[in-house]
Amino acid sequence: MSTLSRRNFVAALGAGAATVWLTAEARDLLAAGKRAAVAAQAQAPFKILTADQAADLDAAASRIVPSDGTPGAHEANVVRFIDESLAGFGKDQRDDVNKLVAELRRLAGERHKGAKSFAALTPGDQDAVIATMEKTKGSHFGLLRAVTVTGMFANPEYGGNANKNGWKLLGFDDHFSWAAPFGWYDRNV
Amino acid sequence: MSDHTHPPLTPLQTTTVKYKPEDEVDFVVVGSGAAGGVVAKELSTAGFRVVVLEQGPWRTERDFVHDELAVFDRSLLTNDYSKSPNTFRKTEKEKAKVQPAVAYGRGVGGTSVHFSANFWRFREIDFNEASRKGTLAGTGFADWPITYQELEPYYTKVDWEVGVAGAPGPFDPPRSRPYPMPPHPPKSTGVLLERGAKKLGWTAFPAPMAIVSKQYDGRSACAQCGFCLGFGCEVRAKSSSLVTTIPKAVATKRCEVRPNSYVRKVETDTRGRVTGVKYFDATKKEIYQRAKAVVVCANGAETPRLLLNSKSNLFPNGLANSSGVVGKYLMFNGAGNAMGQFEHEVNGFKGIVATRVVWDLYELDPKLGLVGGGGFDYRFDVTPIGFGFGGLPPDAPKWGSAYKRELQKQYNRTIVAYGHTSSLPVATNSISLDPEVKDDWGLPVIRMTYQDHPQDLKLYKYFADRSKQLLEASGAVHAWALPTDSQEFSVHLLGTCRMGNDPKTSVVDKNNRAHDVKNLFVVDGSSLVTSGRGQPTMTIQALAFRAADQIVGFAKRHEI
Ligand SMILES: Cc1cc2nc3c(=O)[nH]c(=O)nc-3n(C[C@H](O)[C@H](O)[C@H](O)COP(=O)(O)OP(=O)(O)OC[C@H]3O[C@@H](n4cnc5c(N)ncnc54)[C@H](O)[C@@H]3O)c2cc1C
Ligand code: SF4
Repeated sequence: MSTLSRRNFVAALGAGAATVWLTAEARDLLAAGKRAAVAAQAQAPFKILTADQAADLDAAASRIVPSDGTPGAHEANVVRFIDESLAGFGKDQRDDVNKLVAELRRLAGERHKGAKSFAALTPGDQDAVIATMEKTKGSHFGLLRAVTVTGMFANPEYGGNANKNGWKLLGFDDHFSWAAPFGWYDRNV
Repeated sequence: MSDHTHPPLTPLQTTTVKYKPEDEVDFVVVGSGAAGGVVAKELSTAGFRVVVLEQGPWRTERDFVHDELAVFDRSLLTNDYSKSPNTFRKTEKEKAKVQPAVAYGRGVGGTSVHFSANFWRFREIDFNEASRKGTLAGTGFADWPITYQELEPYYTKVDWEVGVAGAPGPFDPPRSRPYPMPPHPPKSTGVLLERGAKKLGWTAFPAPMAIVSKQYDGRSACAQCGFCLGFGCEVRAKSSSLVTTIPKAVATKRCEVRPNSYVRKVETDTRGRVTGVKYFDATKKEIYQRAKAVVVCANGAETPRLLLNSKSNLFPNGLANSSGVVGKYLMFNGAGNAMGQFEHEVNGFKGIVATRVVWDLYELDPKLGLVGGGGFDYRFDVTPIGFGFGGLPPDAPKWGSAYKRELQKQYNRTIVAYGHTSSLPVATNSISLDPEVKDDWGLPVIRMTYQDHPQDLKLYKYFADRSKQLLEASGAVHAWALPTDSQEFSVHLLGTCRMGNDPKTSVVDKNNRAHDVKNLFVVDGSSLVTSGRGQPTMTIQALAFRAADQIVGFAKRHEI
């Protein structure tokens, strides 16, 4: 792998939590048949997250990649990816994700007296909470961003990137083969 | 993995001969990677009975998936840190911490399976730079005991045996035979590199790649799928040992490749001769395979570890280590990179990694006061998840609509200018045995001690600035240099059993034979004396062909 770009994107997060997430113990999800099944489960109950936790994470991921005209983290089903990972290769991160949700709720309460969930805030208040997290050392902003990015862009078999919404956003696709011209510059030499 | 099924390929030859552990075979080869494949093929073709012991599984194309998460973050094809951790420290004064430090392919074919196949030859200067430019106090910067001319026939052999695509250019090192096939078509990255190079008065020309550009030796041409760096090739176009040398070794019916066989010790007798190896099979049962000679091809990280783990009464500091330099002089190659965004679509994610290279800075103007040199390519080796994390400039928004807009706009317009460089051999940079941490088999793990030499850090910075300059010359709308901190992780693992004429300062002689043990050979990235300018594997394989020639000669003349 390109050590530099790899190192760089991990460094770019500025948070150790995400690195742990990404290098977490691996086997389970690859085990037989599981991957194909996951994609079909958009409506199924969550395995690890409670419905309230899922709602808060969905709302928070949607501030990282909003659904502003084109599909965002919500349409990519990032929250399903989080749940599936916590049930499988990311099971060591359950505690961190619980803490992330707790932080979102605490900050929601501080922002809006009486608010019990992050999801209940207006988008504007939600953004203010995320902005606070981004600025605060030791917050779970890095983890929130890491799970959102990974859930947006990992293969759909992991439960996120639904309808390849993440890849469509980038303009990426996984084809078996490509042929020249590959881009504008080799087409217009 | 998502939208395609695997092409129907006729299975390649699998093992046709079986030896018993108590059979004393002619050679045991430890590791089946870039070098191990060559050695196995050459020795078995010459008529010898060979057992290749490979710790990882024997995969086929069907096991390869386009899955960024599994491959990069969950060690699908590589050494698994959960079973075999590494430890790392910057200096010998520190206690090493558990953290990933090396990544290599663990399976038949080794790291050649998922490498990106940039296949530069070294040049004359890489073999004699120390005497031509002067060595450097505090380093082990030295000349090789062989020259480019001695190795040239073997470079050519690699070209034709495994399949290398390219075109000779004004800067291509001298060659005795043309490339066996034409270069790959330029991608937009290549066209832009040509443009930038021209503006700076440099020349870009076709990148030599170990990827076949047309049908070759029964293998199909590259499908330009784009999942090359880090992934296994599903069409056998990448010239890995898995699809080149290993099937040929097996076809001799004299070579048995035994996967899932993790060698823990090279055994010696009271006369100090190697008698075979002890390894764990898939069930962790220990087996002793006898052999007349052993060739260790386990790479620049695992080879020194195995030799150090093979200590005995006769070899208290580790096998073949009377010099004390086993594990020392670890080199990586450096990098000075930049990223740039362009006006139109580049689509760097399609196709092979690099199609054009620039070698004008292979040797630098002495006025700069820098040691070494390098070469450039343009690539986009940032897969989707990676791009989401760090594909945008450092000051770009990290979340929200503005972040999303930038992701959408820039993914297809971004290029990494990669400045590949030399790095110096420094004795304190090393692979040693961690005194505390053990792997799942109870063996001490790799402890890496590494800090880039200050001269190298200057070199990387120089190349990062030139990379940025190149991107701007190519017309980038925005370009930024990437940081060049001291490295703590590598996939180029070199120099840890260095080659030399003096048994006091090197581990193997010019024929890759251990100075201390007549029937032990070390053939892989660990024997490199200098790092070259970035792509070591062509040289590792050329050395392997050369060593195999020598070993065959010794064996036939009963000189082992
Ligand atoms: C992502 C990536 C991209 C790369 N791109 C390039 C590139 O573009 N150009 C380039 O020149 N180089 C590249 N490299 C580096 C290149 O792959 C290595 O330099 C090369 O494969 C090293 O060859 P080797 O024979 O020394 O070892 P390897 O190919 O690593 O083979 C060693 C083998 O030994 C086995 N082994 C180790 N220990 C034991 C043991 N105790 N018992 C049994 N088996 C054992 C391993 O499992 C492995 O199969 C890249 C590497 C990576 C990871
Ligand atoms: S780009 Fe070509 S060589 Fe590389 S994996 Fe895809 S088909 Fe194979």
